[in-house]
Amino acid sequence: MPDQAESAGGTDTAGVAPAPPPAVRVEGLWKRFGEQVAVAGIDLDLPAGKFIGLVGPNGAGKTTTLSMVTGLLRPDMGRIEVGGHDVWRDPVEVKSRIGVLPEGLRLFERLSGRELLGYTGRLRGLPGAEVDKRATQLLDVLDLAGSQHKLVVDYSTGMRKKIGLASALLHNPEVLFLDEPFEGVDPVSAQTIRGVLERYTRSGATVVFSSHVMELVESLCDWVAVMAAGRIRAQGTLTEVRGDAASLQDAFLELVGAGARDTGDSLDWLGGAR
Amino acid sequence: MTVLDAPAGSAVPAVPGRGIVPVFVRLKLTLLRNGLRQSSGRRAAYVASLVVTLLFAVAQVIGLVALRGHAQAGTLVVLLTAVVALGWAVMPLFFPSGDETLDPSRLVMLPLRPRPLIGALLVSSLIGIGPLFTLALALGSVIAVAHGAAAVVLGVVAVPLTLLVCVALARSVATANIRLLTSRKGRDLAVLSGLVIAVGIQFVNFGAQRLGRAGGLSSLEPLADVVRWLPPASALGAVGSASEGAYGTAFGQLLVSVLALGGLMWLWQRSLVKLMTSPDGSTLAAAEPSARRSGGDASGSGLFSLFPEGRTGPVMQRSLRYVVRDPKTKASWVTALAIGMIVPVLNAVQGSGSVYFACFAAGMLGMQMYNQFGQDTSAFWMVALSVSSTRDAYLELRARALALLLITLPYTVLVTVVTAAVLGSWTALPGAMGLSFALLGAMLATGALASAQFPYSIPQDGAFKNVVPGQAGLAWISIFGGMIAAAVLSGPVIALTIWLHVADHQDQLWLLLPVGAVYGAFIGWLGVRLAAPRAAGRLPEILAAVSKG
Repeated sequence: MPDQAESAGGTDTAGVAPAPPPAVRVEGLWKRFGEQVAVAGIDLDLPAGKFIGLVGPNGAGKTTTLSMVTGLLRPDMGRIEVGGHDVWRDPVEVKSRIGVLPEGLRLFERLSGRELLGYTGRLRGLPGAEVDKRATQLLDVLDLAGSQHKLVVDYSTGMRKKIGLASALLHNPEVLFLDEPFEGVDPVSAQTIRGVLERYTRSGATVVFSSHVMELVESLCDWVAVMAAGRIRAQGTLTEVRGDAASLQDAFLELVGAGARDTGDSLDWLGGAR
Repeated sequence: MTVLDAPAGSAVPAVPGRGIVPVFVRLKLTLLRNGLRQSSGRRAAYVASLVVTLLFAVAQVIGLVALRGHAQAGTLVVLLTAVVALGWAVMPLFFPSGDETLDPSRLVMLPLRPRPLIGALLVSSLIGIGPLFTLALALGSVIAVAHGAAAVVLGVVAVPLTLLVCVALARSVATANIRLLTSRKGRDLAVLSGLVIAVGIQFVNFGAQRLGRAGGLSSLEPLADVVRWLPPASALGAVGSASEGAYGTAFGQLLVSVLALGGLMWLWQRSLVKLMTSPDGSTLAAAEPSARRSGGDASGSGLFSLFPEGRTGPVMQRSLRYVVRDPKTKASWVTALAIGMIVPVLNAVQGSGSVYFACFAAGMLGMQMYNQFGQDTSAFWMVALSVSSTRDAYLELRARALALLLITLPYTVLVTVVTAAVLGSWTALPGAMGLSFALLGAMLATGALASAQFPYSIPQDGAFKNVVPGQAGLAWISIFGGMIAAAVLSGPVIALTIWLHVADHQDQLWLLLPVGAVYGAFIGWLGVRLAAPRAAGRLPEILAAVSKG
């Protein structure tokens, strides 16, 4: 694993042995919504077998990028490859290899947790008995066994993220895309999700997740891409991106040019005599 | 009172109880002004409705004044008031978020006591077009029926009382409705209420036809005798009674309205306090332990275990589960099933129908095939991610059509048989059934194509919103274009039916059954086949279109 990380993280032309193809390759990706440019020509090379964080402030274009990479949103321009297959020209190869947990889109909420897994697994073409076996294990590991017969519409945010993660993992994808998987999730569920994801990447699979919480990305990821205003500001291993800064948070603020803003005297009454 | 007058050391300037009334009145006026400032279209609509309402109100006052002295004036006045009051009660169910000043969730964080708050809310509710209209009605009514000094004095009390009862009624219904809407079960119920109205209209329609035949306002006399005692009409009833010298009755009627106002205010305050101090119902539901059966697996039991493996089975299963569990889908299904039965059968009962009216059921049920992906809402992404070829899209659409047929085929047969039985014309039965099958197939075909080509979002909240703003045109194209196309597609079978009737081959009408069934099956298959590549090629566009709700 370590040597693999170096070959992927270092310069891309110097490989002696054929370097493994990147899990995701993005070239010149653009997306515009009316006047607003959401993604302004980004290039990304995400190495396989890594825990990859896509970080950036709200509105940076993370969700738009992930939607285009997973085939849920048509780009205006650009090329996307997952595992060497073009997402838009070869959907059969790509869709069977990826798992997705989008943000802000519903699940089939009028199914119970178990029914949802049964439905997704069979839709993915897995045999029924295998789906049920995997679903049972996932529900157990993700601590959802107790509410497996409750409708998803009655689930809490954390439970929704977990059942979404379970349906994304069910067909054992090579690359897993998670949009803000920890947003609104309680610490216990977050720890459960973390555990499952760490085990999953140890098996050689790739996780790409977006977040605006730097501490989280810093503690989880070994590879980071920083996004702001529709552009990639930096990408590389965590140490490369962090550079000399004390933390990823500091490095990030420097990259997006939002250093410590002093409020000055304007709020001098706050905390004064009441 | 200004901030400077506030006692030193208090962080919030203490506002005495009646002090908040002008605050709310000003808030209401500001919101109104800002709302109008947003767009000229909105301003034009508001001014237009204001002018129309004013004209209507003036015409109403003139009309009521002209009625003065007419024998039926009393009856008309109480009935009109009752109808307007009913409107006030129903309005908040249609437009739950009509008035921001009255939305308690926006006021939760403010340090306000319930009693002064209710007073202020009531006063600010009196501003608007609706109250103005009601005021005109009450005023006109009093002028129409008040004879004598006592009646005039009562009238002076009755006018504001009527208005206040109407407004309080609307507010307590709205608040109770919001309380209902905070739980998932309540929201589901509210969505289904639309269907009660849709089906109810059918019965009202038939009832009105009956009434129209019976004739005259005088037939409403007994109804008016009851309504005279119901608030807020009883306040105006009291004026009428006082005019006739029945002071005891008048006092009683007025008392009923006063008590009603008190009762409504009490209910409103209670709901409001509950709303503002108790947790959201959805939190409670999520915290509840699972009460459903344990064990068993997702493959299902009984009927569901007979479904084929692969994509077809799970998709059919999910579609059918949604018919039962998703309030929006359920409402539209139950409406289609009910109206599909009511129209042909009631027409047959009244002796004005024909067996061919039973095709109406096929048409109504076939409409369920339209906007298939819109019914998924943004959860369509789960389908989009699993569809990677035309073949997948074909299987997906075919499975949805099969799930639909599982309900519609037996139901179409049932409706046709019941209609034929009521009319007693069994000879036309096979023909009507064949025509129904052909129509059903054509609806499935056009529905599949429209689902792929013109998807639109279905808002999940509210019983009466079926299209998101901005997509109404799309929905109309989809449904009306589709229905016309379906009629054209079933043209050959319709032509055959007409020809058999005209050319006097009635004995061969049974031929229509196999012909219609085969033709319907073929057209349905063809439609799904043609829709599949369109759906497969437009997945991101469909997802974007159905995610707006």
